[in-house]
Amino acid sequence: MSWVLLLLQTSLRNIFSSFLNMVIGIIILVGTFFFVVGGSLVDSMDKSMSRSIIGSVAGNAQVYEASSADSPAIFDNWQIPDLDPIPDFSKIKGPLMSDTNVKAVVPEGVNTAIVVYGNTIDQVLEKLRKAVSPGTRQPKPVVESLKAHVRQMVLDIQTDMGKVNRIASNGSFDPDAAENLKKASSNTFWNSFDRDPFDHLEFLENKIAYLIPDSDQIFLSYVGTDLDAFAKSFDRMEIVDGQMVPPGHRGMLLSKYVYEEMFKLKSAHRLDQIHEALTEKNKKIAKDPDLQDLVKQNKLQTREIVLQLDPLSGQKAVSILQTALNSKETDLSKLLSAFLDTNDSNFEARYKIFYDQLAPLVELYRLKPGELLTIKAYTKSGSVEAVNVKVYGTFQFKGLEKSGLAGGLSLMDLMSFRDLYGYVTPDKIAETKALEKAAGVKFVARDQAEADLFGGETSDVEQSQQKAINDRAEMGGSNKVKRVDLTQRVYSQDEIDKGVAMGAAILLKDPSQLKATMTRLQAACDKDNLGLKVIDWQKAAGNLGQFVFVAKAILYFATAIIFVVALVIINNAVVMATLQRMREIGTMRAIGARKSFVLAMVLTETVVLGMVFGAIGSALGSAFVVFLNHAGIPASNDFLYFFFSGPRLYPDLNAGSLIGAFFVVLVVTCVSALYPAMMATKVSPIQAMASDE
Amino acid sequence: MKSQNPFYHRVNGVTQSKAKDLIGFVFLKNRTLFTLCNSVFQILFISVLTLTPAGLFAQTLGHDKMVDILKGIDLRIRSGGDYKALVYLEQHQKDKPDIAQEALVYRRDVDQKLMILFTKPKTDAGKGYLRVDRNLWYYDPSVGKWERRTDRERIGGTDSDREDFDQSNLAGQYDPQFVGEEKLGSFTVWHLKLAVKSGIDVAYPLVEFWVDEATGNYLKRQDFALSGRLMRTSYDPKWDKLYSDAKKDYLWFPHEIHIYDEIDKGNSTLVIIQSVDLSVLPENMFTKAWLETKSR
Repeated sequence: MSWVLLLLQTSLRNIFSSFLNMVIGIIILVGTFFFVVGGSLVDSMDKSMSRSIIGSVAGNAQVYEASSADSPAIFDNWQIPDLDPIPDFSKIKGPLMSDTNVKAVVPEGVNTAIVVYGNTIDQVLEKLRKAVSPGTRQPKPVVESLKAHVRQMVLDIQTDMGKVNRIASNGSFDPDAAENLKKASSNTFWNSFDRDPFDHLEFLENKIAYLIPDSDQIFLSYVGTDLDAFAKSFDRMEIVDGQMVPPGHRGMLLSKYVYEEMFKLKSAHRLDQIHEALTEKNKKIAKDPDLQDLVKQNKLQTREIVLQLDPLSGQKAVSILQTALNSKETDLSKLLSAFLDTNDSNFEARYKIFYDQLAPLVELYRLKPGELLTIKAYTKSGSVEAVNVKVYGTFQFKGLEKSGLAGGLSLMDLMSFRDLYGYVTPDKIAETKALEKAAGVKFVARDQAEADLFGGETSDVEQSQQKAINDRAEMGGSNKVKRVDLTQRVYSQDEIDKGVAMGAAILLKDPSQLKATMTRLQAACDKDNLGLKVIDWQKAAGNLGQFVFVAKAILYFATAIIFVVALVIINNAVVMATLQRMREIGTMRAIGARKSFVLAMVLTETVVLGMVFGAIGSALGSAFVVFLNHAGIPASNDFLYFFFSGPRLYPDLNAGSLIGAFFVVLVVTCVSALYPAMMATKVSPIQAMASDE
Repeated sequence: MKSQNPFYHRVNGVTQSKAKDLIGFVFLKNRTLFTLCNSVFQILFISVLTLTPAGLFAQTLGHDKMVDILKGIDLRIRSGGDYKALVYLEQHQKDKPDIAQEALVYRRDVDQKLMILFTKPKTDAGKGYLRVDRNLWYYDPSVGKWERRTDRERIGGTDSDREDFDQSNLAGQYDPQFVGEEKLGSFTVWHLKLAVKSGIDVAYPLVEFWVDEATGNYLKRQDFALSGRLMRTSYDPKWDKLYSDAKKDYLWFPHEIHIYDEIDKGNSTLVIIQSVDLSVLPENMFTKAWLETKSR
């Protein structure tokens, strides 16, 4: 015991006795600091990212058809994995729910759809067509307003085409188009509109509308799911605008992020971006090229607003802008361009004018909650299917409001998802077979085509006899195809469950039991021959889920390098220190110190040195983590926003990192001191005392 | 043996003294080499004599003749009055289930109007295309919406496009170039290369045609992108003709079209024109309103 106390006393006394000890200590301090801070950061990021992934869409685990070529990749939005469908979700729901740790099983499938918007005049003409059509007729003032709007657009096109013609060489403007524009802007045309609106609409749609090439399309990623079960299981989800889709109804909830990015008037969205940068990020237009670019785009792209305004709204807008700019200019485009040419001093005032006075004159969003959205998607068979879904509102995941990754997915009811997925039902296969059989044709393979098609007869002509084609018979005995409006239909839970799903999210009562539960679930699936594969949330997230693995690997690799370098340096330093103490060790041996004492002394001194500086490093690292926990690390980009599960990461001190740091320091110091300690035991008292130094 | 060969004497007699200067003494001394050279010369000479008449009379088509061929194709396909056809479409896709559809194709060539109305399968019934002037519209009754489409639209999701069902205007849209006379199976065909005329919008700016010399029908067509990339190959092996009272002549149409996708190899489409009816169609049918009324 007295040995140990003596050794500890000696070791503590010697810590600050030499410069070499300080070098060794600082290396250990830096390595420990890095280990504690890095470990805590990665661990906190792992936890926050798992919150993002589990809490938004993936759940704790996912199941999918084991025969699939790919596995689910929920956040790899633009690469839809090749998954085989689970033909009947109701058959897997029961067995999965029977596990004691499973809280909910939610059917899911990710897909990408296209929303096509015609050009601006097409969109207004579509409204006008509906307004004058028998089933959807609108009151006269609405029709008159739409007519005035179209007429204003025709005048705008005429003005623009005139400018183009003046700038370009003479005759570059199609004379037929000029003649058609002249007709479409005339009083005669509009005075006779009500007598035959459809004839006039056909003229406008086919002879005028194509002159504006500003049609647009939006790519929309969505999760098809049982919306009711989804909302109950993923408690981070919250409705922002509108309302939740009523239980059993077809419908869609757009992600708030997507709604702002894709459906908002582009000029307004750019103003929002500038406003956010100035107020929340303390940026300046004068110093930020990105903000300057946004201002430039707003200044140049005023047509989107101009074409939205009917004559009355146009006059109001001119008046608002003349007052705001103190100008007498009457050209709306010029006024808008000047108004949107903002700088740091006038931006906030104009931002307010825009939203208070101009925004009520235009449609800020292409779509409002409660309206129908027509979306199309490529089906499994490669054809394109379209459905109308009512958009009930927008939603977001708490804490992930501004994440493009979490906010990139919208939600759609499972019935609409199945229609767009185009699962080839046995009925459809039978119908295709019947059509093929009736046609009685033989498929000719590409490489055999010329031999098969041109190898025999030398005449390609046959005289045909006219056959009357009965349209009614071809259309199934009716002059009209019957279409059912499914937007109002209410589906029972049984109908929702019985059908195709691409996979299912599993939410657990006790997430810490994930691995054990997954093993049980996989065993149950195999036993019941469900043909399912169970994967955890990390794998289900796709490439994104692997980020923490990569981060951990980088951290451990960097730490390993630091400590290997430390090991070599400590080893050399202790060897040098031991050589410097030859006389001292020789004297100690001469007065009776045994070899074991010398060995223990060198080892203890090094370990104590490591422990002291390791403790200082751990303390500093812990203090830094505590500081970060209070201050937070800001998410500077979309990926970090998702990994931090919010705008800032507040890392927690990880006990595992502290224990790990202690263990690593102990091992490194012991290993590095072992050789010099052995060397010290071989010092003979006579040799040591005989030497000069 | 040599004396019996008239070419040998003539060639030998004419060239022997000059050959001394030209080829050299060593060459003449080497009798074996000289004999070999002489034989090659004889073969070339005979070949020239044999091939010259064929070369003189080979079918090379002048520009006017090619334009006439294209005009002939356009004229044959064009209908003088209204046109209605029952068409079957079958799409084969690699690793995907087949698609089979039936559609009614309506044309009024005088006004350059076209409408395609799908009738089968049930899920596609009521869907349709309407071409008026330079607009190609697509209507889906399940959503009640019209959309503008381009001339490259894959009709019904197949490899066919509008031009496969519409009247033809090859002479007006393309400048032809003669490639050669070729054999396509047992058919002798003219191979023409067409490049789109300036300022004209077409689905494919470069097209190659193989036209049957005997009938003037095109049997094979290859469509290329502007970059020169081959997009699709189609075969029209059978042509039907039907007398049109309105046209006072025969109307020609391909009985079947085999289209092979050259980008997504393994995808192909078969179009069969099952029957054609040249009765007069309702006056107002080439409108959006008419197509909308086909579904409720």
